[in-house]
Amino acid sequence: MKKDLKKIEKIISNIELNSPSQIRDLLINFLHTHLKRSKIDNFIGDYPTFIEPVHLDENVKIGDDVLLGPNVYIGKDSEIKDYVEISNSIVFDNVVIGENIKLDNCIIGKNTLLSCENINIDNCIIVGNVRTKEELYKIMYKFK
Amino acid sequence: MSEKREKDIQRIKELESINLAREEIRDFVIETKKEVEKDNDLLAKQINDDLKKRGIRSIDIVGAIGAGKTALIEKIAEILSKKYKILVICGDITTRVDANRIEKHDVNTVQINTGRECALNAYHIYQVLKNQDLNDVDLIFIENVGNLICPSDFKLGTDKRITVVSITEGEWVIEKHPMLFKMSDIAVINKIDLLERLGTNVDKMEKDAKRFNPKIKVIKTSAKTNKNIDLLINTLEL
Repeated sequence: MKKDLKKIEKIISNIELNSPSQIRDLLINFLHTHLKRSKIDNFIGDYPTFIEPVHLDENVKIGDDVLLGPNVYIGKDSEIKDYVEISNSIVFDNVVIGENIKLDNCIIGKNTLLSCENINIDNCIIVGNVRTKEELYKIMYKFK
Repeated sequence: MSEKREKDIQRIKELESINLAREEIRDFVIETKKEVEKDNDLLAKQINDDLKKRGIRSIDIVGAIGAGKTALIEKIAEILSKKYKILVICGDITTRVDANRIEKHDVNTVQINTGRECALNAYHIYQVLKNQDLNDVDLIFIENVGNLICPSDFKLGTDKRITVVSITEGEWVIEKHPMLFKMSDIAVINKIDLLERLGTNVDKMEKDAKRFNPKIKVIKTSAKTNKNIDLLINTLEL
């Protein structure tokens, strides 16, 4: 799993070298290959809803009323704030997902801060700090 | 769903638990709650239409913790998995205990851990089905979170609903929970093998179920001794 995550991390740092369909296939393959059953036994927070499979790495913080899954990987030290919904996505290490954000088929790069509230995001890569919707539209890379 | 409605739904969840008693927002809370239930019912209908188009039969099973829902699904799966490709969606607050038991009977399982939510809703089921290969499924069972109250608020889009009670819960259990029996097709009175020892008034339980819902079919079973498991399967009308 770690090896494939490294590969994806490398690819999203050079997006232009890959076609949108290659990136999408990479995401789907990772989720189908490595996520069969949930690993949700070690997180900090209240009681979110999990639809398996969900894989949480170490020290993940989860807020109130969060729905994770199916097919979700969340890297270590990441924080998922209140009312967030994530499916079919990879969230790398040390990411903050702000309140009331919905992600489907997304890859969120390491150390990203995604804090614009009330937004649905699908089929894209986000790497960097985003505080407004305008900032988001500038840096997001749609792969569908 | 519009962005405004989504925001309203998020807000209601927060308000409902802490502020329902506040006079100035009560109307807003009630209105939004109605909207949430309406959305759930619409989605449940969409799920049922989609499953019907695919020729997939679906049944949800509700009942209190310990009534024997999982044991009954195990018995049903043991028999029906020889004929049908079965997917079982298991709802629990936490753990994968039930799904692990059921998948030993040659069926696929998906576990939903609802955390603080006391019942599955149509959106949970929609999310599972959207991400499953349904070409390989003939029959879906949904085992709801162990609870006789909350599931009555949320239809799941299945063809039939079975409510399971056991005689260990006492003869008043059906009388005390009319809503679920009104919306169920089959009432199962389980653990009938313990009748001699417990002396529960099973006739009263059956009469109560029929009084709330004259169309309901009542079946007395024992998952332990297999009593009436065949009858229950026949009643599913697959």
